[in-house]
Amino acid sequence: MKIVPTIGMETHVELKTNSKMFCRCNVVETDKPNENLCPTCLGLPGSLPVPNKRAIEFITLLALSTKCQITTDGMFHRKNYFYPDLPKNYQISQFDLPVGTEGSLEIVVNGEFSTVEIERVHMEEDTGKSTHIGSGRIDSATSTHLDFNRAGIPLVEVVTKPLIKSSKEAVSYIEELRQLVIDLDISEGKLEKGNLRFDANISVAYENDDELGTKVEIKNMNSLRSLEKAIEYEISRQTKMLNNNETIIQETRHWDEKKEVTSSMRSKEGSADYRYFSDPDIPNMILSKDFIDKIKNNMPVLPSEKRNTFINSGLSIEDANSIGKSPKWMGELYKSVSDITNDSKTTFNWITGELQGQLRKLGETSPPEWMTAEQLAEIISLVKNDKISFTSGKEILAELIEEKINPEEYAISNKLIQENDTEEISKMVKEIIKENSEVLERIANGEEKLIGFLVGQVIKLSNGKVNPSVAKELLLKEIK
Amino acid sequence: MNHYKLSISEINKLFKDKKLKPSELYSEVFERAANTESIIHGHLTLFQDENIKKAADADKRYENGTELGILDGIPIAIKDNINIAGYATTCSSQMLSNYISPYDATVITKLKDEGVMFTGKTNLDEFAMGSSTENSAFGPTKNPWDPSRVPGGSSGGSAAVVSAGSAIASLGSDTGGSIRQPASFCGVVGFKPTYGTVSRFGLVAFASSLDQIGPITNNVEDSKILFNSMKGFDPFDATSGKESKTKQPKLKNAKIGIIKELMEDGISEDAKLEVQKVAKLLESQGHEIVEVSLPLTKMSISIYYLIAPAECSANLSRFDGVRYGNRVAGNTSYEMMENTRAEGFGPEVKKRILLGTYALSAGYYDAFYGQALKARAMMKKEFTETYKEVDYLISPTTPSDPFKFGEKSDNQLEMYMSDLCTIPANLVGMPAISIPTGLSSNGLPLSVQIMSPANTDNTLLEFSQKLESVVSFTSLPEIKGGVS
Repeated sequence: MKIVPTIGMETHVELKTNSKMFCRCNVVETDKPNENLCPTCLGLPGSLPVPNKRAIEFITLLALSTKCQITTDGMFHRKNYFYPDLPKNYQISQFDLPVGTEGSLEIVVNGEFSTVEIERVHMEEDTGKSTHIGSGRIDSATSTHLDFNRAGIPLVEVVTKPLIKSSKEAVSYIEELRQLVIDLDISEGKLEKGNLRFDANISVAYENDDELGTKVEIKNMNSLRSLEKAIEYEISRQTKMLNNNETIIQETRHWDEKKEVTSSMRSKEGSADYRYFSDPDIPNMILSKDFIDKIKNNMPVLPSEKRNTFINSGLSIEDANSIGKSPKWMGELYKSVSDITNDSKTTFNWITGELQGQLRKLGETSPPEWMTAEQLAEIISLVKNDKISFTSGKEILAELIEEKINPEEYAISNKLIQENDTEEISKMVKEIIKENSEVLERIANGEEKLIGFLVGQVIKLSNGKVNPSVAKELLLKEIK
Repeated sequence: MNHYKLSISEINKLFKDKKLKPSELYSEVFERAANTESIIHGHLTLFQDENIKKAADADKRYENGTELGILDGIPIAIKDNINIAGYATTCSSQMLSNYISPYDATVITKLKDEGVMFTGKTNLDEFAMGSSTENSAFGPTKNPWDPSRVPGGSSGGSAAVVSAGSAIASLGSDTGGSIRQPASFCGVVGFKPTYGTVSRFGLVAFASSLDQIGPITNNVEDSKILFNSMKGFDPFDATSGKESKTKQPKLKNAKIGIIKELMEDGISEDAKLEVQKVAKLLESQGHEIVEVSLPLTKMSISIYYLIAPAECSANLSRFDGVRYGNRVAGNTSYEMMENTRAEGFGPEVKKRILLGTYALSAGYYDAFYGQALKARAMMKKEFTETYKEVDYLISPTTPSDPFKFGEKSDNQLEMYMSDLCTIPANLVGMPAISIPTGLSSNGLPLSVQIMSPANTDNTLLEFSQKLESVVSFTSLPEIKGGVS
């Protein structure tokens, strides 16, 4: 019987508000620990939380853009657990009345559309950061260093339904969510900085089983690559166990980046009791119709909408998805250039292939400011119309990245314009054939590769101005 | 002439008329503390040195006519669960015996702006949990009327120092009667405002949905002055309220309900007679007295002992030795946290944390905490409905006069019952005041409690002032054994 995996994702998105979730401390980037604290985010006796309105606007924006139902009469709950980097030993979070429920997010997997069902979108505060010295774990550390700069930064947790079927789908989902929070301008969305942190809940079961298998939570995946690898590792681990009739226990497992395996962090996860209750320090969160409407009316262009625009311009789903997740300038440049060239695929290839490749080699992240869509469109058109060779096009582009030039003028003055006049080329072809009767004989005997040699001779004769494909075509005509 | 029993407005007049200087009053109050504290133990700390300069500054302000307001130069004691920057906030717990607060509570900021001088920090039941101050880690406070008896609690220190005259007034906090019950036991006025009218920022939380800071004073007018200087929306407390327009109860020809359930079993004859005496006085002032029934009042102790411990179990989680407080070493972080809590908290606090943790646990939440929340909501409705019929409610503040040390510490339920009359006002979030009206057969103070609808605090205070003037309770404790 076939064994199928089921995956659910829990993602924490760090919002880019100016101040923390429940106090007025600025959210700042600093290497100095414990720089940015007040009685509230340090959990001093007598301090109280006051919710950050901007953060609630941000989460409402995210919930609306993932088609969630909005809880207009929600509240904050206390999630109780002891950990040294949790200042109050409870986290202010949301329980049964999250801001958003029952949403969905359209994603692209292997060039096709798919939908990830969102279970909930809720607001909470971040914890501090622990560094366990002498061991990676709290119980065996010789000492633990605590930095509370992060404590109280607003986080949105996005939880999917357990309906994701593959590691690729999970990765595509995170890519889409990341692009969404960037386009909504509510998070920096940088994985390497921990702006997006995800855990995966994975189970396996026989395909025709009604019930899901025992779920295992995987933590510590810090990149999309590790997400993909960890899920694949865990699916194969659980599949083997199921095949061998071993019991899979509910537990939290840690992804080991170096060894590329998951290992048990703690079991008994099922018995964790967070004793949620509504936080008496914070009044109910009433989201008025006005508040929600204002957010709806100021919604920016979503990644899915952007993607549709690219698809409508002629790109494949895959290409549209890819350019939508590229740096913003690429999508914009693509739009302007393809409007001129009327050739979406070629334009896409030039921008995502040649241009990005050359910039990367130079260590640049965006094209020089003088580069215009018209210039790029000109290069693309010169190549497309066989005025210049592809190689010359690349050369002109490289030049354009270096300094402000006019591509056509550059092509002319550097003698890159190809000879396309068939009469002229025919004359040269005939001349070459005359001079190479020996080669012709060998071609007749099956050494077809030598046609290339003859083409080369024609180009040489023309001082490189002849369009090779035209020369070849005429040569073949003459020989036959 | 002694000035420490004068009202704040009387003192202010003397200051303005240059018949008394703030420094003179402060010396008098401090001397009073020096003479009585060895018996009473109401203050945990006295801020003498810094106050000498502050009193001199106040002197100058009155000399120059630049005084900050009616409270300028008035020495007020602060319960030791309210933060004053630079001073210890111990909550009468070993856990925080060395903890210095880096910030002021909002009420402290407001009082500082008015020129108030703080005599020091006063004793309480550990983390405000108790009704006698017997739960203080630093020894109990004694009742100035009879040192063999408790001053009540948890604001026992704050009530005792006002009664003894070692402060002109004090601040307490009231979660289930912690201002009113000790005020009653010590023969002074105690006022618990409407929940949310006075900011809780800087008050170490016991049960956040019930806690409220309020004044303990020699008379109702002083409570009114302090309340009005402390009240108001605070951007640092999301539960603090902006003033709302509410229909106010009548001041003349009012209808006053005696709560039937608080005149039954468990209430001493003395306490019942006191309410009846006051009711007659009110009738003679032209008010109408009726009996009202609020059946859920009988459940208030049960509701309270689920909600308050549940909230406290989370509120007190932060005391783990990690960032502050007395850390007790351990081999791992968790062991350190466990040892710190095991040694730092006293038995009553531990009991309530356990009770609350249990009430919130999976599988028990619905049966305990969830039920308590529902009952609380019903109780609030019961009160709201009743206030459609009457302007005020009246009851004893405490079921009996002050009890003796140790008398109830073996019977916890009986101890909890001493808050029977005061808890309802916290559960429904409405204002309540305790006014001393007479003496019991033991010669100890007895009080009545008057309650009114939410956000009618100033009307309640005004009404109480009128009652106070006809009751004319003028008895003072005679503190025996103090250095005099």
